[in-house]
Amino acid sequence: MSEQNPQTDPPLLQVKGLETHFPIRKGLLRRQVGSVKAVDGVTFDIPRGKTLGLVGESGCGKTTVGRSLLRLVEPTGGEVLFDNHAVRKENARSLRSLRRRMQIVFQDPYGSLNPRMKIRSILEEGLILHRLGEGSARLEQMEQALERTGLSPAVLERYPHEFSGGQRQRIAIARALVLKPEFLVLDEPVSALDVSIQAQVINLLKELKQELGLTYLFISHDLSVVEYLADNVAVMYLGQIVESAEAGQLCQQPLHPYTLALFSAVPSVEVKNRRQRIVLAGDVPSPSRPPAGCRFHPRCPLAETVCREVEPPQVDLAGHRFHCHVASRELERCGGDAAKTSVVMQAAITAATSDSTEPHSAVSQRMSLDHQ
Amino acid sequence: MAAPLLEIKDLVTVFHTSDGRLPAVDGVSLSIERGQTLGLVGESGCGKSVTAMSTLRLVSSPGRIESGSIMFTTEGESIDLVTTPEKQLRKVRGGRIGMIFQEPMTSLNPVFTIGNQIAEAVQLHRKVSRSEARSRALEMLHLVRLADPEQRLDAYPHQLSGGMRQRVMIAIALACEPDLIIADEPTTALDVTIQAQILELLDDLRSRLGTAILLITHDLGVVAETCDDVAVMYAGRIVEQASAVELFSRPLHPYTIGLLQARPNVDARDSGPLATIPGMVPPPQDFPSGCRFHPRCSHAREPQCNVEPPSLREVSPGHFVRCHFAEEINS
Repeated sequence: MSEQNPQTDPPLLQVKGLETHFPIRKGLLRRQVGSVKAVDGVTFDIPRGKTLGLVGESGCGKTTVGRSLLRLVEPTGGEVLFDNHAVRKENARSLRSLRRRMQIVFQDPYGSLNPRMKIRSILEEGLILHRLGEGSARLEQMEQALERTGLSPAVLERYPHEFSGGQRQRIAIARALVLKPEFLVLDEPVSALDVSIQAQVINLLKELKQELGLTYLFISHDLSVVEYLADNVAVMYLGQIVESAEAGQLCQQPLHPYTLALFSAVPSVEVKNRRQRIVLAGDVPSPSRPPAGCRFHPRCPLAETVCREVEPPQVDLAGHRFHCHVASRELERCGGDAAKTSVVMQAAITAATSDSTEPHSAVSQRMSLDHQ
Repeated sequence: MAAPLLEIKDLVTVFHTSDGRLPAVDGVSLSIERGQTLGLVGESGCGKSVTAMSTLRLVSSPGRIESGSIMFTTEGESIDLVTTPEKQLRKVRGGRIGMIFQEPMTSLNPVFTIGNQIAEAVQLHRKVSRSEARSRALEMLHLVRLADPEQRLDAYPHQLSGGMRQRVMIAIALACEPDLIIADEPTTALDVTIQAQILELLDDLRSRLGTAILLITHDLGVVAETCDDVAVMYAGRIVEQASAVELFSRPLHPYTIGLLQARPNVDARDSGPLATIPGMVPPPQDFPSGCRFHPRCSHAREPQCNVEPPSLREVSPGHFVRCHFAEEINS
C-alpha cells in the first residue's frame, strides 16, 4: 500500500495557499473591523504513507491548519486537494464520505472523550454516522481497532474516567481507526502525556503507520518528537510556513533564523557540552496585525532594512524551502551549499544574541569561517 | 561546615482519604546549599509537587506532614518549618522563601494590577510606604526584564502573555530578596523560545543575587541545562540523586535510564522503536511491595526486588541510588 512511485502518483494531500481568517467584529452592527489571520497562505504536500510534522509555538496557526483541512473550521481561501477531491468545494454529503477517510486525534484526551458515553458508544458513533457495518460486524471492527491500539475488547463497557491519560489517547486513536481512514491529523497527541507514556504512544503511532500505510499530519510544538516521527518537517510562524524540508535535512542544516532559535531552545540532556542557547527577545506578535515585511523581523537577531519592508520570497533548494532574505543571500555567497550556509547562519545568530556591542554581520562571520 | 540553606529529612506527607492512608511523599531527604539549583524530577503523581508544598506547609487537608523535619537556616538561625508556629512561618513564605507556580494564568489575581500584586508582597514583609512599595515593584519589573515596565505596572494579568505573566510571578517571588525560590514547573505552560528566556532569567538572577532554587519539573532537558544537582523521584521516594553532570553521564537507576532512553530524538529515528517503560506510575494506594519500581523494571529479580525495599545507597561519592543491583546492571 505504501510502496508507490512518487513520480507518477500525486500526493494524497495537496494544500495550496490555504488561508483561514477569523473576523473581528465590533459595535452594535457587529461590523467586521479586522481579521485574525490564523493561517495565511500555507502550501504543502503530503505523499501517501508519509508523515509531515508541523511545528511551531502556540498561536502560530498549526492547529488551525489541521482543522481547516477537515473543514472543522471553514478556510477562507486557498485549495485543499485530498486524493484529487477539492475538499473546499464538496457539499455536506460528499464531505462526510471524505471525512471517513480523514480523521483527527486531539491533544487533550480528557476533553475529547465524552464522559457520559461508554467506550462502545464512542467508537460506534462514527460507524453509525457513516452507516458502516451492522451488529456483529460492527462489534468486530471496534474490537479490531482496540486491539490495534493495544487495548482489550473488555474496555468497551467502561467509561472514559476509568482510564489514564495514555489509555484515553489510545481510545481516541482507536476511534479514528475504526473508520479505516487513510489520513490522520494528529494534533499534539502526546503533549499531555508523561515521558514514559509518551514513548509508548509514539511507538504505537509509528507502528500503525507502517502496518496500515497511514498518512499523518503530525502537529506538535515539541521538536524532538517531530524529528523522531516525521519524514518531512514544516516550521510555522505567525500563520505561515517559514521553512520546510526532509526531517534529517532540516535538523542538521536549518537555515531560517527562527528554526535555528527553536532548535537551540530545546533543552538537551547533554550536560557536558551545554550549547550556546539562542534566546529570542519578545513574544510572538498578534496575528491580527502581523508585522510588515518578514513576519519574524521584530524578533530576528539578524533583521536588516529589507526584512522590515519586503516579504521574503520562497527559496527552493532541492525540496529544502525557506523564506528569509539573509539566508538566501548567504546561500548564494556559499555557492548554494546548504550545510555551509547553515553554519554561517548559526554563527551569525549566536554572535548577534550573545554580544550585542560587538559589530556583527553574517558577512563577517562568513569571512572568519573562510579563513579557518 | 555550615548548615545547608534548606535540609529536608525523612519527610513523610500523607493524605487520609476513603482509600486509606496514602503516602504521597514517603521519606524524602534533600538539601540545598546557598546559591545552588537543585532539580527535582519525576512524572505526574510521583510526589514532587507535594514535596514542594510541604516545604512551605501549604499541603491542604486531607494531606498532612506526618513526620520528618525541614530545617531552614538563614543568618545563622535555624528553624524547623514543620513545627514552627504559623505566625512565624508566614514571614518565611514569600519573605525568605519565594514560590513560583506552574500556571501563571491562575496564580495571579485577575482583578488587581500587577504593580499592585508585587507591591502587596513587599508591604506584607517590609515596613514601607505605598509609594516605596510601588517603586520597588517597578524595580522588580526592570530586574525580570519585562518590556515597558512603567506601563505594565498598571496592566492587569489578562493583558499580558504567558511569558510576561511568568516574569511577573518571578518578580513577586523575588520582591523580598528571598534566600530560596521554589519553582514548580515554571516553564511547562510556556513555548520553547519563551522557556529559554525564563530559564536564562532564573539562572542570571541566581548568579547575581545568590538565590538558591528548588526547581521541580518533569523535563529532564530543563534539569540538565539549569541544575547543579538532581534528584529523581518515583512513587513518593527519591530513587537517584547526584550532581547533574554525574547523573546524566552515568545514570544508574533503571528508572532514570528508562526516562532518558524514552526521549525521542532524530538520532533514534532509524534505530527502531523508542525504548519504553512498560505500565504506568502506580497511584499511592497501589504502591508495590519491595522496590516500588520492580513491576516495571526489566532487571527486577525475585525474591529481592519484590520483597525487600532497597535503601538509598551512596555508590560513588555524591551519587545515591535506590536499587539493589545498580552496580551489576551498569557494569
